[in-house]
Amino acid sequence: MNGWEKLILYFQYPFVRYALIVGVLIALCSSLLGVTLVLKRFSFIGDGLSHVAFGAMAIAAVFGMTNEMPLVLVVTIVSAVLLLRTGQNAKIKGDAAVAMISVGALAIGYLLMNLFAKSSNLSGDVCSTLFGSTSILTLTQTEVWLCVLLSVVVTAIFVLFYHKIFAVTFDEGFAKATGTNAGLYNLMIAVVVAVVIVLAMNLVGSLLISALVIFPALSAMRVFKSFRAVTICSAVLSVCCAFVGILISIVGGTPVGSTIVAVDIAAFGGFSGAGIILGGMKK
Amino acid sequence: MKRRICAIVMMILFVMMFPVSCGKKQSNQNNSGGTSEIDVDLTVLSSTMVYSEVYNMMMNPKKYIGKTVKMNGAYAIYEGENRIYHACLIADATACCSQGIEFQLSGSLKYPDDYPEIGSDITVIGTFDTYMEGECEFCQLIDAVIVEDNF
Repeated sequence: MNGWEKLILYFQYPFVRYALIVGVLIALCSSLLGVTLVLKRFSFIGDGLSHVAFGAMAIAAVFGMTNEMPLVLVVTIVSAVLLLRTGQNAKIKGDAAVAMISVGALAIGYLLMNLFAKSSNLSGDVCSTLFGSTSILTLTQTEVWLCVLLSVVVTAIFVLFYHKIFAVTFDEGFAKATGTNAGLYNLMIAVVVAVVIVLAMNLVGSLLISALVIFPALSAMRVFKSFRAVTICSAVLSVCCAFVGILISIVGGTPVGSTIVAVDIAAFGGFSGAGIILGGMKK
Repeated sequence: MKRRICAIVMMILFVMMFPVSCGKKQSNQNNSGGTSEIDVDLTVLSSTMVYSEVYNMMMNPKKYIGKTVKMNGAYAIYEGENRIYHACLIADATACCSQGIEFQLSGSLKYPDDYPEIGSDITVIGTFDTYMEGECEFCQLIDAVIVEDNF
């Protein structure tokens, strides 16, 4: 059976179709925010928040919650707000705060799972949460609809408030001076980032989320210079990489999360090359 | 701007041409069991697909009851209080998780003489069914036969 025949066979499975739909939507949302986060020097916040989400999932597992999503969302949103909004004025700032929350939540989460978890396959649960494993291929129909709904909300917020997000991203001080409520928009960005992080945990796992957020944005920045062009290119590239990555992983039997990230890295290499060539042409 | 758009199109094509058929080789062996009467043939799926499909079988067993399943994996046992449980285990792509399906071979076979070595690679064909033990529902393949093994 060749690769094409395998693909036709695999597309008959509903979970493969669900994975592609959710994967593409998550990639789109994370890439939209990636540009803002990279420009605001918050590239690593995805990593920190995903570890917070891991800690929240551990607490949900300890309490035997069947639907952990609400708790994980609330805890991650609160952490994102604390990091993004109060980051500048707090005693522990920026990268130090992210690092502290990141490793703290990871350690406490793993400790709680070890001490109180009821699952018989603890290492499997932890591995699945950290690296994504096959989570994206084991989604229920309800989870798919939730992902679709949240993705639509995130994309709508980004499109509707594009100009404000642009202003707050590039020059917060100037935005404030011109009457923009920068605090409110930072809060909105924080909430949306948290939602995307929780969604993306299903796709690539908590250790690889940063790649999904930063690689498409950085790749686009190699070639384009305007905010709009970088955002559009980043979104298209992220969707293509996620789609190709999922196809490779299901046909080749490779881990989904790391395969998507590998495709993102390949695309970054290609775009870097294109950027160098285009730069040379200009000179 | 046109140059940039051309460069982007080239980059996207480059990514799309990434070899789709790379990865681990499939164990797509046809053997005495054949595949003509198989409803769910897990031996033709990649490890990622097998893990996901077995997960679905465990989560939604009612959909699969009565279907003939063919699977390939490592032979494992669990010695319970009243009987020995025989299973075929499949590891996922990250090799940290494994899913298994219990099977009961047809005929009056005795363990360990009539069974393969623990950990050996086996291919099992059987009818998917569920049973209750205590308050829990378990899945198994009944009237199963091992069509390929190392003993």
